[in-house]
Amino acid sequence: MRITTVRILVQTVMFGLFLAFVLLTTFTHLNDWPSAKWVVSKFLEVDPLVGIATAITTHTVYRGLLWGLVILIPTLFLGRIFCNWICPFGIFHHFIGWVFNRRNTKEKIDSNRYRPLFALKYYILVGFLAAAVFGCLQIGLLDPIVFLYRAFTIGVLPVANMPTQSLFGDYHMHANAWVVGSLFLFFVSMNWVIPRFFCRAVCPLGALLGVLSRYAFWRIDRDPDKCVNCDLCLQSCEGASDPHKQLRMAECFVCFNCIEDCPHEALRFAFLPSRRQEIRSPDIGRRHAVFAALVGALFFGWTKAGGKSTQDFSSKVIRPPGSVEEQEFLARCIKCAQCIRVCPTNVLQPALFESGAEGLWTPILNFRMGACQHQCTACGHVCPTGAIQRITVEEKLGLGAFEAVGPIRLGTAHFDLGRCLPWSKNISCVVCEEVCPVSPKAIHCEYRQMLVRDGKKLVRAATATALTLVDSPAPGQAVGAPCTFRPGEFKGDASLSYHVQVYRAGGLVRTYPIADNDADTLVVDGVMDPVPPAAAVAAIHVQLKVPKIDTEHCIGCGLCELECPVVGDRRAVYVTAEGETRSMSYSERARNRSLRLTRTADAGRAVEENPRRPGSGEMPDPRSLLS
Amino acid sequence: MSRREFLRRGGATLVAAGAATGGALWLYDPTGKAGLRQPSPQRLPNYFATVDYPVSAPRISIARGGALDPQTVEKMVRAAVGGLNGGPGLSRFIRKGDVVLLKPNVGFERAPQFAATTNPDVVRAVIRLCREAGASRVLVADNPIEAAPNCFARSGIQDAAQREGARVLIPANVHFTPLAIREPNPDGTPYRPDPARHEALGTWPVFWEPLREANKVIGIPIIKDHNLCYASMGLKNWYGLLGGRRNQFHQAIHDIISDLGLMLSPTLTIVDGTRVMMRNGPTGGSLSDVKDGNTVVAGVDPLACDAWCYENLLERDPAALRYLDLAQAKFGEQEAGPRSYAEAGRFGTRHWTDYRNRGLIVETVVRSGE
Repeated sequence: MRITTVRILVQTVMFGLFLAFVLLTTFTHLNDWPSAKWVVSKFLEVDPLVGIATAITTHTVYRGLLWGLVILIPTLFLGRIFCNWICPFGIFHHFIGWVFNRRNTKEKIDSNRYRPLFALKYYILVGFLAAAVFGCLQIGLLDPIVFLYRAFTIGVLPVANMPTQSLFGDYHMHANAWVVGSLFLFFVSMNWVIPRFFCRAVCPLGALLGVLSRYAFWRIDRDPDKCVNCDLCLQSCEGASDPHKQLRMAECFVCFNCIEDCPHEALRFAFLPSRRQEIRSPDIGRRHAVFAALVGALFFGWTKAGGKSTQDFSSKVIRPPGSVEEQEFLARCIKCAQCIRVCPTNVLQPALFESGAEGLWTPILNFRMGACQHQCTACGHVCPTGAIQRITVEEKLGLGAFEAVGPIRLGTAHFDLGRCLPWSKNISCVVCEEVCPVSPKAIHCEYRQMLVRDGKKLVRAATATALTLVDSPAPGQAVGAPCTFRPGEFKGDASLSYHVQVYRAGGLVRTYPIADNDADTLVVDGVMDPVPPAAAVAAIHVQLKVPKIDTEHCIGCGLCELECPVVGDRRAVYVTAEGETRSMSYSERARNRSLRLTRTADAGRAVEENPRRPGSGEMPDPRSLLS
Repeated sequence: MSRREFLRRGGATLVAAGAATGGALWLYDPTGKAGLRQPSPQRLPNYFATVDYPVSAPRISIARGGALDPQTVEKMVRAAVGGLNGGPGLSRFIRKGDVVLLKPNVGFERAPQFAATTNPDVVRAVIRLCREAGASRVLVADNPIEAAPNCFARSGIQDAAQREGARVLIPANVHFTPLAIREPNPDGTPYRPDPARHEALGTWPVFWEPLREANKVIGIPIIKDHNLCYASMGLKNWYGLLGGRRNQFHQAIHDIISDLGLMLSPTLTIVDGTRVMMRNGPTGGSLSDVKDGNTVVAGVDPLACDAWCYENLLERDPAALRYLDLAQAKFGEQEAGPRSYAEAGRFGTRHWTDYRNRGLIVETVVRSGE
């Protein structure tokens, strides 16, 4: 079998695996096949740029990111084999270029010559890594694996799901799907202008692997004695690596097309060939690289100067359960959208600039789309970098061994009293109490009495069980008009009842429940003793349940906000990030965002178990720090 | 231009003009009201009407056991159902080839011991009974408040259903269709519910996918405390078939629950009283909210079933349960005349003690273990 046939088979398998992993990343599939959660983010874990960049920002290599060595080490020996054998985005570009090719041989040869533009990717890499040195992780914007996971999760699969909803259920909805999708489309379309534009000119992972290819033991080698300078080796050259003269090692994708295309067998894949036939370093200038690094540093400066992740943080930035403290989160999140994909309720949404420019595409919870499922911890299990920690249900809910630590709080619910039906409109409701999933419920009710419209009347006559009322006299009138109630209006029902408060001389008030009424007479439930005198003020009140929040028990899951019947874009009950446990750690920067809304001591376990620098000493008892 | 070319072009032009005109006339909307069109709603049959149920047979059958292991629970279910069936099995209710929809309460993501969702052992036993009676397919469906896949997984109902070969339907938006709960007006316009008459539902989207196929419907509610309507039982269980922003009805919750009794007349109701959530409902979440009820109740009268359970399992006074009052009034309104099954097409009384006095309640005690 020819080596290129083997390569095509491997490419097919790799892209198939990628697609399978993304499709498997749903709550249902991971519930049916729990062991799948170890593989669905594997392409992200083997991506050495993810490993290196997060190692720079966090000074650690998180769990599965050690898999990056599986790509990194072979690259040192063989060059950029990843780009044309494994990378699903590279494979996709290759496929698109092949399917839509309309160039003749001459045009193909010309389109595959090296251009100075292709050095751009090295500057992008340098800029990203420079920002990473300061703790600002942006590689995910253009890293091909991250880009493709995100594009499929947000831009492609929800659309593919639309005609198949009866089979696969509702499609996920994401506000900026069109932006993510358009970027994907842009890079795919650029293959018409420059073949493999993304891989050759933009890809920071390709740039990293290109740098690592410098000492490769094997490479494509041209025998100048056999070569007739026909340039046919360029016609299918994927990397634009100039196999027809000195090979640019940093550009070659090791696709083997040139060997196959050479009619004179002048090319071979050789072990340690002559150094005169190769250009080992990428085509970059030192001053330009320094400039790129400065741009990266400047970007970091701008994001921090924006203050959106610190002082001016948005209380809408509610992170998934198990997330580490915000600065650490931004240092870890690569924006791959795996958490967004796996989320069973669609509550996770890619952010725009809610957490500053650096927080673009990071996950935040939007409680109009869903609520954080009470006993679900799926997002942390697919997160490749530990921005969302792998937590258990016990840890999330503060059960069992975590009882002393308490639950993980994503934020705290608040009422907008002006919109709440029972608080401001005398309509009984309390759906929020019904759905509150913690026990005891964080949303609880008290009965409140509120004056009904035009409820203040005067007693005209009274017996021990009935009050006949008149309106307050209008100016110039001696006696007010008789009341005109709807018969039975104040009978109440199971959810609300009516009471009449009778004001006596000296300001004393007695309250009697109303049993029934006709047009101007109230029948009270019970006996009025003493019987109210004529002209006493009688005020008719409605009594209903109004909801309140016990911040001690609220975990910020957002189910109340999701289910609130006041369905506008500002619900009558809504959750904000205040009180989130991940900001209750010990560092000053976390404390900047924290607001203690509970009386008991508690600290986010996820933060505690994820110290930024391992070996920084024994953790003190959280409670001792919270007093 | 040759004659042939003239004819060819002329013909093509005529065909194109004719097609455009025909297409435009076919799609023509002379009144301009097409934008106001509503999908024509579905109707539900009375799922009890096809059961040949003797008027003298028991209306409520209660089985008690002493333990909550799967075997005892299954025995309880079999005993309770057997009491109505006049012998073991479900043959009086389910015929060979029937497609049966089971509607358990899977409203929240809770493990079974929290009694927020129907005991999966009860669901399993009912599936087995349906299969034994010859049902060709058994569907299990609910539209939970929380994420459906999680609720079905955590409650153990998905596992129980799949092991018994029943199909679980996870709701998706496309599965919902408007259902006319009340007859449309004589002129064909949808009936508008009148709040003054405690009506909440006229036409409303329901989880239609399972109802589309099923010709028998068995409700398998759990009995539990509820913060708004005091108790979630058999009638309230049908809330789980509603779609849309159904929680807006919570302002008139007794109206809608009594409407749900009108919406769907089940073939049979089997109340899971194995565990009872006594407080903090409907979500619960603490074992201290739950007591062992050790009871399964089967009934052909959903109202009497609810009333019995409310009094005997939740230990509360059913006289205070307003939706039962309303439901009984509505059952009467719908079917004027004495509420015998023969005339009304359903049994519906909140006075379960009437049945006791008439000897229409059977009780069985099941021995635990094996």
